[in-house]
Amino acid sequence: MTNLWHYRSLALNFFQREISGRYVGSVSGIFWILIHPLALLGIYSVVFTTIFRVSLPELGAGGFVVFVALALWPWLAFQEGVLRGALAVQSNAGLVKKVAFPNELLVHGAVCATYAVHGVGFLAALGMIALAGNALHFEALPLVAVLLLIQLFFTLGFALVISALQVLLKDVEHFLTPFMMIWFYATPVLYSVTMLPERMRQFIFLNPLAYSLGRIRDLLLHGGGLILSDGAALLGALLVFVLGRWFFNRLAPHFEDFL
Amino acid sequence: MSAPLICMKGIGKNYPLVSSGANRLRTVASLLLGNANIPHYTALQGVNLELARGESLGLIGENGAGKSTLLKIIAGVVKPSGGSLEVNGSIGALLELGSGFHPEYTGRENIFLAAALMGLSKSAITEKLSSIIEFADIGDHIDQPIKHYSSGMVVRLGFAVATAMRPDILITDEVLAVGDESFQKKCIRWIEDYLAGGGTLLLCSHSMFHIQTLCQKALWIHEGRPRMLGNSFEVTREYLTYHEEKNSQAVRGEHVTHSAGVYQIRSLRLEDDAGSTAALASMGGALRICGVVHSPDGRPPVILFGIVRADGTPVYGTHSNETDYHPNLIAPFLFGFCARLSNIQLLPGKYTVRAHALDPEGLRLFDTVETSVRITGQTRDYGLCRLEHEWLPGKEEFNTMWEA
Repeated sequence: MTNLWHYRSLALNFFQREISGRYVGSVSGIFWILIHPLALLGIYSVVFTTIFRVSLPELGAGGFVVFVALALWPWLAFQEGVLRGALAVQSNAGLVKKVAFPNELLVHGAVCATYAVHGVGFLAALGMIALAGNALHFEALPLVAVLLLIQLFFTLGFALVISALQVLLKDVEHFLTPFMMIWFYATPVLYSVTMLPERMRQFIFLNPLAYSLGRIRDLLLHGGGLILSDGAALLGALLVFVLGRWFFNRLAPHFEDFL
Repeated sequence: MSAPLICMKGIGKNYPLVSSGANRLRTVASLLLGNANIPHYTALQGVNLELARGESLGLIGENGAGKSTLLKIIAGVVKPSGGSLEVNGSIGALLELGSGFHPEYTGRENIFLAAALMGLSKSAITEKLSSIIEFADIGDHIDQPIKHYSSGMVVRLGFAVATAMRPDILITDEVLAVGDESFQKKCIRWIEDYLAGGGTLLLCSHSMFHIQTLCQKALWIHEGRPRMLGNSFEVTREYLTYHEEKNSQAVRGEHVTHSAGVYQIRSLRLEDDAGSTAALASMGGALRICGVVHSPDGRPPVILFGIVRADGTPVYGTHSNETDYHPNLIAPFLFGFCARLSNIQLLPGKYTVRAHALDPEGLRLFDTVETSVRITGQTRDYGLCRLEHEWLPGKEEFNTMWEA
């Protein structure tokens, strides 16, 4: 950890590079942060409210769109964070092969940048939802940030493992896209946990994302404080992070052999 | 005496040979569990090296010998498969053209990136920014993305960053060769100053001049193994000799004929003035070429000796009747001869000494016998041998002479 602190300016550099490389160079630039999730939201809203006519009492005053929106941004942060983190080492092969530095910073930079970008997008979306006349519990925002931080630790740990495997096995990225798609539908973003049959409901909490997304949505819709299980989630996420780092740093010295 | 800056014992590097998917999975598992039972090929093995502060080392060897792998191991980019490595100092590595640079970034942004990769804080970089830009001396290009740079400009920038860091150990892998003449000189001046200030240089180069100029020690790596470690002059000479011999093997066909009943050299040996066999002679020293020659008719044959460099380039040759020398009879049908070379002005390296027996008329050449000698010494002269010369002051007339 002390070593990572020594390289803090490098971490910052990678972080900035991830953000600027992705959005500053493109024509529409920063708008993509909002356009992509909004487009997804539009599609879900058409499919589920116009075609399937989903209507549930627990959706709250804002209806389906607000219900989905509150979980969509945190989910996208996770999904994109994992996908970008997974390729972070491989796409910087030139650097990894020629310069000695803590390779994990590449993954941290990619994941944290994704969270930052979608965090800003999430705030903007929350603002729009509020402007549209929906009551949100904004006083719970600091707690939402805490839950996003827990989710970030989990994402980092997961992305570290995937990125190390990607370097050594190469074909991880092909599995990753369908895998994340399945994960998306296995996570209550488009539905709520209560809609699940009883038998499946007990398994849903094996999915860490189900917990963090559910809590974030709950806090913003109904307010409330931190609960004991949040502490357990934090410990679990930290454990994943530590294990992910161990796994990554165990394999990192061999990256140069495989890149 | 402080601890050595670099201390490596038995360093080796194996690269895994992986092809199939199942193989890869097995490799990952064994890497995680830490057992080394992976199919591999050996890029480097058995390197022992100790380098003290202020010592500089040149690495030489053929392409693919493992020089870059060794530098990468010292730089910490590659983990050695075996042996122990201890580095007690900060390292600045210019491992390859533009390493640590991002092609889309401008030169200025890349300075920040490269410095951050070396672990410098932003404020420390800002402090040094102007001196880096000044050293790189690439004008307005500093604000262009480096993908538009020429390779020379990339090297300038890379070297400029390395200079600003002033690491304890500077590692450069054949990058100087890309810069233009004036930049190379600037770099060499800087390195000399850096060495004088107690810095340590690890240089990998195919320029023996750079190795000799900048490094005290040199390590010759041959096919992944250290072949010679020592004084940079001696190692580079040895290395050049190896190449000369390698080239000559392809070019020269051996013409050694032996037949009874003709004039024939029975033995040839090199001696020093004390009369003992010598395989070495120092530059400026003396050497005797002595031998026994057989004459079928009892008449003294003519002896011809010649010296060729290891690659087959003839240096000098002469025959005995040039000076009216006749080998003297030492046994029936056997004549002895001896030629003394004084004040040898051959440049250090390996040479072949050939002796031939001719008929007494000096018309027909019957025989070739050869042996080799190594000339030792330290010099930066070029070519085959030193020509006697002296440097004189310039005169004003030179100017008018040239105008005319």
